[in-house]
Amino acid sequence: MEERTGGFASIGGALGGFFGAIGRFFAEFGTAVVKGDAFVKLSLLWWGAGYARRKQFAKALIMTLLEAAIVWFTLSFAMSYVPKFSTLGTVQAEQVFNIATMQSEWNDYDNSFMILLFSLFSFVVWAVALVVWMRNVVNVYQLQLQAQQGRHVNNFVEDLKSYLDEKFHITLLSLPVLGIVVFTVIPILLLILVAFTNYDQQHMPPTNLFTWVGFANFSALFGGSITSTFGYAFVRVLGWTLVWSFFATLTTYFGGILMSLLLNSKLTRGTKLWRTMLVMTIAVPQFVSLLLMRNLFSNTGLINTFCSNIGLTGFLRDIGLISSSTIPFLSAPGWAHVMIIIINIWVGIPYQMLIATGVLMNLPTDQLESARIDGANPFQTFRHITMPYMLFVTGPALVTDFVKNFNNFNVIYLLTQDVYVTTDQFMAASQAREVDLLVTWLFNLTQNYYNYKMASVIGIMVFVVCAVFTLIAFNFMIGGNKEEGYQ
Amino acid sequence: MKRGRVKRAGRLLGHNAIIAILCVLWILPVVWLVCTSFSSYSGMNTSTFFPKEWSLIHYKLLLTPDTVNQFPTWFMNTFRIACWTCVISTLFVLMVAYATSVMRFKARKPLMNVAVILNLFPGMLAMIAVYFTLKTFNLTNSHIGLILVYSASSGLGYLIAKGFFDTVPRSLCEAARLDGCNEAMIFWKVVIPTSRPIIVYTIISSFLTPWMDFVYSKMILNAGISANYTVAVGLYRMLDKSLINTYFTQFCVGGVLVSIPISVLFLIMQKFYVEGVTNGAVKG
Repeated sequence: MEERTGGFASIGGALGGFFGAIGRFFAEFGTAVVKGDAFVKLSLLWWGAGYARRKQFAKALIMTLLEAAIVWFTLSFAMSYVPKFSTLGTVQAEQVFNIATMQSEWNDYDNSFMILLFSLFSFVVWAVALVVWMRNVVNVYQLQLQAQQGRHVNNFVEDLKSYLDEKFHITLLSLPVLGIVVFTVIPILLLILVAFTNYDQQHMPPTNLFTWVGFANFSALFGGSITSTFGYAFVRVLGWTLVWSFFATLTTYFGGILMSLLLNSKLTRGTKLWRTMLVMTIAVPQFVSLLLMRNLFSNTGLINTFCSNIGLTGFLRDIGLISSSTIPFLSAPGWAHVMIIIINIWVGIPYQMLIATGVLMNLPTDQLESARIDGANPFQTFRHITMPYMLFVTGPALVTDFVKNFNNFNVIYLLTQDVYVTTDQFMAASQAREVDLLVTWLFNLTQNYYNYKMASVIGIMVFVVCAVFTLIAFNFMIGGNKEEGYQ
Repeated sequence: MKRGRVKRAGRLLGHNAIIAILCVLWILPVVWLVCTSFSSYSGMNTSTFFPKEWSLIHYKLLLTPDTVNQFPTWFMNTFRIACWTCVISTLFVLMVAYATSVMRFKARKPLMNVAVILNLFPGMLAMIAVYFTLKTFNLTNSHIGLILVYSASSGLGYLIAKGFFDTVPRSLCEAARLDGCNEAMIFWKVVIPTSRPIIVYTIISSFLTPWMDFVYSKMILNAGISANYTVAVGLYRMLDKSLINTYFTQFCVGGVLVSIPISVLFLIMQKFYVEGVTNGAVKG
């Protein structure tokens, strides 16, 4: 059971457990330093000392080389960036005429982004070095204890072999963890740092410098001013993002359950055929199917021709719902919002239908049977047996679906990019549109307007909203599910 | 009695008619895609559902590269990227899953907790910073950058495979250990061979990632030359306002051609998909 309630259930406890582990790590280090012999203490300065004392010369050599490498890294690499970290560089790039070569040359300028990135990289390397340094002392203290108690001390070959046996997890985890650190952890930290700088189109390295601006970008997002409309746009984009995630999640979730009940009903003939038809729509990649939808529903597209042929366009114009000669399915506010949610139902129901089918197959049949004997009608059965069971099994998936829809880049971008143009000047001034989600907005800010500082602030807000929502939802759900968890 | 039977037949018919209508509604855009790909007109047909004249010409056109369309190259690019991503991701996922499921070590719980927190950051966010970084090193518009973006952090998606490894009987591992196997041999000779379904699932889903993805390839390859594109970026470009009238039908052909291998793989993966999503959700 411990395994099953782990993971999501313990997000709240995750931080606590993490800091607990750090505490234990420091305690071990303290004991080793206090109780270790002279060589253990010497290991604080010379990493190989403890190993050399136990005649593990290969290991002593490796640790010494590692220490030398870190010192070399610090002196030759980190020291040319970290000292400039507080200003992010002061020397502007300029072309200078060099009398000696009779040519214009670039001066020795500072590149703010490199300074930021490499300083951050150095901090991470130093943090890792610190852990290795402490771990090393703990290890040589263990060696000392083994030697004192007369237990066997491994030679180098035995040590190497242990990486395929009791230390196999280190072999397994080192590369994936390195990948995660370089491609997830460092980028997230970098993004957080950029949010506190003025890195944008006017401050683009290498020709220009950028620097720290404190919380200025955050106040631009939360406060409005005459020159900045980010606050105005942020509230609207966040509002639509929440509305969209709510409807996109609920419509596809319940639609998927209903579809699966329909398909798996005893009355249905040819279930497999129908299911294959639905699954086919998943197999077409979204960039094909959604771009196709965009053109089907465009102002000159097939659906518009059809609507005008059957007189729907004229009727809508007569009752005043539209003012143009075509139905602006994806190009006017309101229309576009509703259409996006409807098209997303088309995209999402087959997925949810597959999942619901899988879950409902395991629905305890005895409960259904007894409900039928008690004279429950199909709706009552659905309301009191099927739904509670579905919610119990797929509840956590519902939360992750909400977060996924919150960041559902594909549907919004592929359906509205180049088609939807905002007429709201305040929105346009912040490069936002009424149909944008926070992620599509920040994507456009980075890709087309190079406004990295605001994109980073928005990115942090996305994380905050998702994290808070997930925490609350899971705590709520765990509270409700406790009884069943104990069964 | 007879009236009851008629009523039942009516319900049966009504029920199946609703399903038929829904399914036809769902499949209609796909049918339109396939039909349009056989049209002889190269722009978008806006007046009728079926093409006015059927022809195979655009299949031939798509397979002969010109300045805009380099579909065969894009297809091979995507295939190559998918193969690399598949190898790296599968290895990473299985390695992390084994270490966290079968082995016990002090940092196990803290590491899993960190993974839970990192998974709360949408992948897009990290990618934007990765994009600045790759750009600084001139690694944008390269396939290596894209492969790294797809696969480097794949270890974070280990939970589904871990859930499967948790069900491998521990007595098997113990027996192997008594026979003198070390941990690495148990991994290769005991756990991997008994976990074929989850390995198939991991391989197919990581192979499909580059085929289905749009945003990362657009971000990384956008400014590059056409010969470096993947299918997604290339087909997206064909629908530019200036190109759509000449390339719409070729876009449809491309859509059909890329969907065929994906649907085959997806049908194989279908039964693992459900298990994976629900399991992964319950376990987080």
